[in-house]
Amino acid sequence: MLTLSKEAGAMSDSKKTFPEPGQPARAAGAKPFTLVAAGTPKETEGKAGEVKRKILVVAKHHAFTSGVLDYAANLAARLNYDLLALNVKPELEPGGKVFSPFNRHLREKFRRQSQASLEQVRPVLASHGIGCEQVVKFEGVAKAVMDLSHLIKRVDFVITDQGITDEEITGEIPLPVFSIAGYQGEKVMAKWTEVQDWSRMRAIGKTVAYGLGAAALYAAVFLNGDTVMRYFTRGGWYAALPIATVFIVSFVHGAFAHHLWSVLGIEAVKKVQPRPEVAKRPVARRRPRPQLRLDT
Amino acid sequence: MHDVAAEAVKFIDLNLTTIGFLFIVGFIGGLVSGFIGSGGAFVLTPGMMSLGVPGAVAVASNMCHKFPKALVGAYKRFKYGQVDIKLGLVMAASAGVGVQVGIKIQEWILARWGEAGSNLYVSLSFVVVLVVVGGYVFWDAWRTQKSGGAEVVTSLARRLQKIHLPPMMYFKTADVRISMWFTLPIGFATGMLAATIAVGGFIGVPGMIYVLGASSLVSSATELVIAFVMGFGGTVKWAMHGMVDIRLTLIILAGSLLGVQLGAIGTTYVKEHMIKIVMGTIMLIVAVSRGLAVPKYLKQLGVIAPSDTAISVLSMVSFATMCIALGIGAVIILGSMWRAKRAEAAKAPEYALKESYG
Repeated sequence: MLTLSKEAGAMSDSKKTFPEPGQPARAAGAKPFTLVAAGTPKETEGKAGEVKRKILVVAKHHAFTSGVLDYAANLAARLNYDLLALNVKPELEPGGKVFSPFNRHLREKFRRQSQASLEQVRPVLASHGIGCEQVVKFEGVAKAVMDLSHLIKRVDFVITDQGITDEEITGEIPLPVFSIAGYQGEKVMAKWTEVQDWSRMRAIGKTVAYGLGAAALYAAVFLNGDTVMRYFTRGGWYAALPIATVFIVSFVHGAFAHHLWSVLGIEAVKKVQPRPEVAKRPVARRRPRPQLRLDT
Repeated sequence: MHDVAAEAVKFIDLNLTTIGFLFIVGFIGGLVSGFIGSGGAFVLTPGMMSLGVPGAVAVASNMCHKFPKALVGAYKRFKYGQVDIKLGLVMAASAGVGVQVGIKIQEWILARWGEAGSNLYVSLSFVVVLVVVGGYVFWDAWRTQKSGGAEVVTSLARRLQKIHLPPMMYFKTADVRISMWFTLPIGFATGMLAATIAVGGFIGVPGMIYVLGASSLVSSATELVIAFVMGFGGTVKWAMHGMVDIRLTLIILAGSLLGVQLGAIGTTYVKEHMIKIVMGTIMLIVAVSRGLAVPKYLKQLGVIAPSDTAISVLSMVSFATMCIALGIGAVIILGSMWRAKRAEAAKAPEYALKESYG
């Protein structure tokens, strides 16, 4: 039984390069490009020249949950497959909203962390004859898996790590996708919270800004109480004054209140709204397409 | 709404107690409104009057805070996908008519039986509507909770939906297809009740649930749209008479905008029938509160003759009960939100072993 979570003092080589997103994983005719440390007892090829089948393990984090990696590794060992580790971070997609140089720095950091995380477990994998390529992508999970399955041959199925929802993975990938049941995952490395801190700081900033705006509006009304009351209660067309004031205050103070609850951690739970039971027409279901794989 | 007298209107001076009271009551009122779609404002009018605000100013300032609060609440719940705008606007149209009719009836009673008669009419309406509707809502919620929490469309609604009486309308978010004619009486009753007791939603929301067949979530959210339209119309009328005390309105808004968003968020945490439970509870307790005020008006009309101290005690208890109603509603809402949040945090991440094909 292969367990990766208790690996102690793994020796790992100095930095290795790994495929940039979009580049082919190996040159034509060359041996399969693997990142296994030198001195591996077993070759990662099966029969001469034949490429081993692969299990694609994908996570939305730089580290894989140990339970998932254990499972994938055990499966790979039994089936004599290799692993293909894919770390995605769709939030850092180039051309997105986050400020660009910072974005580049974050991508670099994610690459380094992903690589370092896998380095810890690679020796154990290698000792069981499991090769492990690693790819880091900055796009949605489904797209990344699709692209990779075109680029790298013989990916037979996909195992998803924690946090990848059904909607993210189904519908576009012509491969079976599995997620693992019934365990409490632990991350191999500490959680990276830098991007989360950045967006939290922005939320706090917004709260303070709107709060100050609301306070200013209230001060304006109450410090000039007498003048305000004189005009606002004149009636007739002056009715527009209280109504307009109320709209403006609602906008600013409402935004403040919204961000305040958000920052305090009180946010809506996104779940499907339940509907009362009424007879519904059955929904047409998509049938799974049978896949025929030929041994070439 | 009473006729506006042409005399000089007095606007109260503000102090810390006034401000604090209005802010807190505004917050709780907003919380309840955001959750059940209506019902926060009715404490504010008598509350303001007990602070010395003249009746007309109290009603006007209350209404002026109601419509932006409803707007913010409706917007937030719209983002959660709970608001059926079309249904709201259709009902608001007939509600507008109901408001005018309600005002006319009030004016007629006022002319015929004076102020006391008008107050008696208001209180009796309160009691009858709240006991009947509130009782039913509460019983239904209780039944739903016992049976495991799944809401069911009533047989009345199903039968009405089957009746083909053009023009038929389809309300997408509510997932209801029904003849427009059936929405009219509910909207009308909402408007009439709003003109009478200042809370139309106590008929509007149960009406949408039990007669039209929308879910509690959609009904309470859509009610905010109706409240906005009615509140805006009423405010324009009052503001043109110069009756809005913007200071009071703004203080109440400060609290209620916080509360209404919290209430809206709360609806996503709890099971749907919770909305009915809160609504039913508040309605029943307020019915008791208003019932306690009836003897005062009966005495003023000379029908019965209890002592003055008895009357003042009853008045105090009546007001206190009303505040308690709101307070209990808030406690239930916050309590169920708290429990739901804790339950979610305690759940271990579980993943079903499942396979899906592209």
